Amino acid sequence: MTDTVQQEAKRLAQLLIDVAADPKAALRAHLAGGRKVVGCFPVLTPDEVVHAAGMVPFGLWGGRKNAVESTKYLQAFCCSVMKANVENGMTGVYDGLTAVITTAYCDTLKCIEEVWKVAVPALPSIPFVCPQNRKDPAALDFLESAFARLAEALGAFGGRPVTEEALEKSIAVFGAYRAEARRFSLAAAQHPWTIPAAARHGVLKAAYFMRKEDYTEILAALNDALGQIPDEREGKTGVVLTGLMAEPNAFLELLPDYGFYVAADDLVHESLQFRADVPGPEAGGSAARRLAMRFVGVDGCSLLYDDEKRRGKRLIELCEAHGARAVIACMMKFCDPEEFDFPLYSKELAAAGIPLLPVEVEQNMAGAEGLRTRVQTFSEMLRFG
Amino acid sequence: MKYLGVDIGSSASKAVIVDNEGVVVARWLKHTGVGVATDVIETVLAETGTEASEIACTVATGYGRKLVPGADEEIAELSCHAKGARALVPKTRTIIDIGGQDAKAISLDGYGRIQSFAMNDKCAAGTGRFLEVMAHVLGVGTDALPDLAAASGTDIRISNTCTVFAESEVISQLAGGGSKADIAKGIHASVAERIAGLAKRVDIVPVVCMTGGSANNSALAACIGKELGAEIVVPEWPQMAGALGAALYARAIL
Repeated sequence: MTDTVQQEAKRLAQLLIDVAADPKAALRAHLAGGRKVVGCFPVLTPDEVVHAAGMVPFGLWGGRKNAVESTKYLQAFCCSVMKANVENGMTGVYDGLTAVITTAYCDTLKCIEEVWKVAVPALPSIPFVCPQNRKDPAALDFLESAFARLAEALGAFGGRPVTEEALEKSIAVFGAYRAEARRFSLAAAQHPWTIPAAARHGVLKAAYFMRKEDYTEILAALNDALGQIPDEREGKTGVVLTGLMAEPNAFLELLPDYGFYVAADDLVHESLQFRADVPGPEAGGSAARRLAMRFVGVDGCSLLYDDEKRRGKRLIELCEAHGARAVIACMMKFCDPEEFDFPLYSKELAAAGIPLLPVEVEQNMAGAEGLRTRVQTFSEMLRFG
Repeated sequence: MKYLGVDIGSSASKAVIVDNEGVVVARWLKHTGVGVATDVIETVLAETGTEASEIACTVATGYGRKLVPGADEEIAELSCHAKGARALVPKTRTIIDIGGQDAKAISLDGYGRIQSFAMNDKCAAGTGRFLEVMAHVLGVGTDALPDLAAASGTDIRISNTCTVFAESEVISQLAGGGSKADIAKGIHASVAERIAGLAKRVDIVPVVCMTGGSANNSALAACIGKELGAEIVVPEWPQMAGALGAALYARAIL
């Protein structure tokens, strides 16, 4: 019985992992199905508005692409995710997208909107600026009006105005997705044999490239299957992953080699996308205003100003809540906001007695042997210590 | 019984055999890296006059640790350097290991357990390879660098940390009439700055022990000590620390 369920869980997970491994194929499938697709830059975009305009939001989070054309616009020390995005735009990888939504969460992202107009003139961009002082009451008003502007632009691209009713429906679709993603995060942690770290990442990453309705349906079935499989954590060491994103897979594939499983994550690319919901109608205000409330409520992210610096506290709470013994910080090469946060939370984790392993990652890094030495040493440090 | 530790590094391979008491009974060193890994155990046994039946357990470490057939276990080099350094210098709390392709700083607690560690990640500056490249430009072997630096009256500062750019800088200095001795001193100062920057990412608590082949470079050890404001202790056979740690792990595991 368990073997059959496990096979079904692996089959369902593989459906999503395959999508995550080949976003271009996912894009082609959308286009072949007559759907319009809008590219969404990191780290947070109001994807519900894209959905309400009848289009598919499609995450643009770099890839294993060497910077060649994009070096005209982005220096060697810019983050590789942005270099890959611009490179993809310039080399036709994003051909077929109706438009892209650019953001301004960090210094590199801030210049992308202007770079894009010159580097990829054929693919229209819609700028979205999230206020950094999000706790100021004016932030809600600003975001609400920003979403209204986005809705107008996206309605024009989609050929369908974004109505209040459509936005409410989209919020419900995304609410269902986020609930299943949270459920999966817990279920995957309990089943590191069926869903090892790289598979967990692939399953969550697929959400960026699929219609949320389709993704949620498969994810719910996967969660149901995982719920029938006994706990697989015995003898393994739980870790919390933090950082912008945990790629390449070569890094994640090392974790089970040394007995680690992902007990929880604090990654911008993963749990940040689904840990907070859009409040329900009881919160008051229009759908756009409640959408704004979600953006205001997200904390503990290096790219969102946090006057109380809650990331360290959050990591400690995650370790305690999920039985994780240590934290692995996935430091994206040349990501300044992540470097700025590191001294603060590393000190807090040390004070709490939680071991921390910082590893420098880059999506297109050639080999993982240096990372292997770090991960293995960390496992030995916990084992022999 | 005896216990074998094999450390396959990027530029040299080392082996140490210890007895039941953990006393070193044989050492082996070859200035070849991962290329020797496949038959290293047979070679070590033959060249140290040891019968295979005498070895109860073998642990492999270093970058080529996964390439050693016949090893009972493989353990990362940082763990092995920690164990080896602690055996060589019992009160060691901080280890600086400069290997061929990377540099490491390891912080130990009072019991010799690793508390934290840092490794160079963005480039080869501050590694043994950096010194090799610079020695080549100066037309000397790396062994000659300390004496050359000692003959200097004043150092010529090498401002580039990138190995390739630093090589160009040294060539420019030579072309500009800079003395080899002064440049050699500047090279040591440059590596020491990089290593100190790395070491300060972990807690620097005395005793600070330096391991790896570059620890034989007395000028470098002195420069690093000056940068850190701490005395650097270099054990006898510093490049054997990893292999010794591996041998001691082999003894402990069995």
